[in-house]
Amino acid sequence: MHLTKRCTAMLAALLFLPPAVFAADLTQRQAQLLANNCVQCHARVDIGAPIMGNPADWKERSKQGEEKLLMNVIVGLRGMPPLGYCSACDEQDFRALIRFMANLPDFDKTAVKGESK
Amino acid sequence: MTNRRDFLKTAAALTGTGLLAGCDGFEAEPQSPVSFTPGKPLPWINWAGNQSCFPSARLAPVHEDELVAMLKNAKGAEGTIRAVGAGHSFSAVVPTNDTLITTDLMSGVISHDPVTVQAEIWAGTRMHNLGPMLHEIGQALPNQPDMDYPAMGGAIACSAHATGKGFGSMSSYVTGLTLATPSGELLECSATSHADIFQAARTSLGALGVVSRLKLQNLPSFKLVETNRVEKTEDVLDDFAARIAQHRHFEFLPLPHTSLCATVTTDIAKEGDVNVGEEDSSAAHTLRKVFNALSWLPGIADATYEKVLSLALGGAGTEIRTGQSFEVFPHVRTVRFREMEYTVPAELGAACVREILKTIRDKKIPVCFPLEYRYVKADDIWLSMFEGRDGIAISVHQYGDLDYKAYFSQIEPIFWKYQGRPHWGKIHTLTQPQLAALYPHHWQDFKEIRSALDPSGRMLNAHLKSLFGI
Repeated sequence: MHLTKRCTAMLAALLFLPPAVFAADLTQRQAQLLANNCVQCHARVDIGAPIMGNPADWKERSKQGEEKLLMNVIVGLRGMPPLGYCSACDEQDFRALIRFMANLPDFDKTAVKGESK
Repeated sequence: MTNRRDFLKTAAALTGTGLLAGCDGFEAEPQSPVSFTPGKPLPWINWAGNQSCFPSARLAPVHEDELVAMLKNAKGAEGTIRAVGAGHSFSAVVPTNDTLITTDLMSGVISHDPVTVQAEIWAGTRMHNLGPMLHEIGQALPNQPDMDYPAMGGAIACSAHATGKGFGSMSSYVTGLTLATPSGELLECSATSHADIFQAARTSLGALGVVSRLKLQNLPSFKLVETNRVEKTEDVLDDFAARIAQHRHFEFLPLPHTSLCATVTTDIAKEGDVNVGEEDSSAAHTLRKVFNALSWLPGIADATYEKVLSLALGGAGTEIRTGQSFEVFPHVRTVRFREMEYTVPAELGAACVREILKTIRDKKIPVCFPLEYRYVKADDIWLSMFEGRDGIAISVHQYGDLDYKAYFSQIEPIFWKYQGRPHWGKIHTLTQPQLAALYPHHWQDFKEIRSALDPSGRMLNAHLKSLFGI
């Protein structure tokens, strides 16, 4: 649904990421799942989704821990659709994609489970 | 001049929070129908969050040979198989607790012909990826829906569409397809090869197997200019025939409990066309706040709501978007909702939407989510909603966190009065007897093709069985 419009720019995630970022482990399959699903929102400015590889967008979110982020991805949260559109992703794919997009070396996997966003 | 976005936000802030029911007069619904525990079986959930399942096998083939093997061997050739693309359908076309085949990894352009302006693509290609891919080879889809999240295979399966007097549904651009049947055959289908199966498979709800490839009749790349205005619904209805004749695409979105609508007019861009204003992907949320804040006013809620919206929307002028076609057709959707859509014969569209708006007003249905009114050209595809007749597709929506059933149940019978055919991917309650009557030309033909290709009904879940009376 749209009442008002603006041409929204689609930005390549590469613009945000220094080369070292791509050291994260994604299989070829996961890279394709990323391109088909995650990128359409997480590389798109001004729609509210955290931009992948942009530390400022992920710092607070990462404090919730990987388990909470995983659950949010699976069941959806506000504008984030369930499964992030990725019906092909299994749990390990989702974990790998979250780690890749959040890209925080000190990603806190031990944060309290169930903490609300 | 204040733009619509700023004014709506200001209006919402000034009027405070919802004091009474307003748009939220329906029961609240959880955003997700199921929960998930890490390490436990992973659910499948659609975009709208109203369909879910726990498939025991979730398969993602990367090429046709693998797809064929999966179809042959799924659960030892027993159990239900369903295919899924992006999961954007609101109806229960996908759920199965047996085998779910996802097409994410069968994506991209396979080949193209610059002379015929045709391209063959993998059916799992997402629309948002397809636009840039086609642009690289100088082609573009003739028309696109107002969002580009779906996979092309899913869009074709449900006859997804946009608007425009000269344009049929997405299925009407398909000149050929490859169907992987439940028995593991690969059939290349077109108007001259397996012609009957082709006519059935161009809109099949995934009941015939899994479509792996699509050959599309495209156009050379083109640019568009889209103009958005707020107008009076009755003025637009009176002028509708002229507008769809004058413009490449035209649609409008009536605002319930007001005389207003948003109009969207799209044409080939001209030299010098530039963007004006900015898109607000959360406008529907703002609309809800305004409606809720005003709906408590006894006896004058509608009038006050319209006055505020008139001030907010009417004085803001036009907003314009320009760019390549694949950039202008789609819009961002950050507000989740549930949708019911029926297509009625074109000549009955105005009467139908007027009766819907009157019913909402007379019954004081607390809804503020706009309706949508689009024109689609007739085609000859057996189960297309536009088979044999130009159609007006009218949609009603409810926010994703509110119960939609009470609202939709009051509107759906109106569609029936006007010979409406339900969108296969959206919410409706029709089953075999009513559907057979709505498709008098080829309903039985489709069922015979389906039965021949899948005699044991492996591609049918409970929803499809109810549709086809099996």
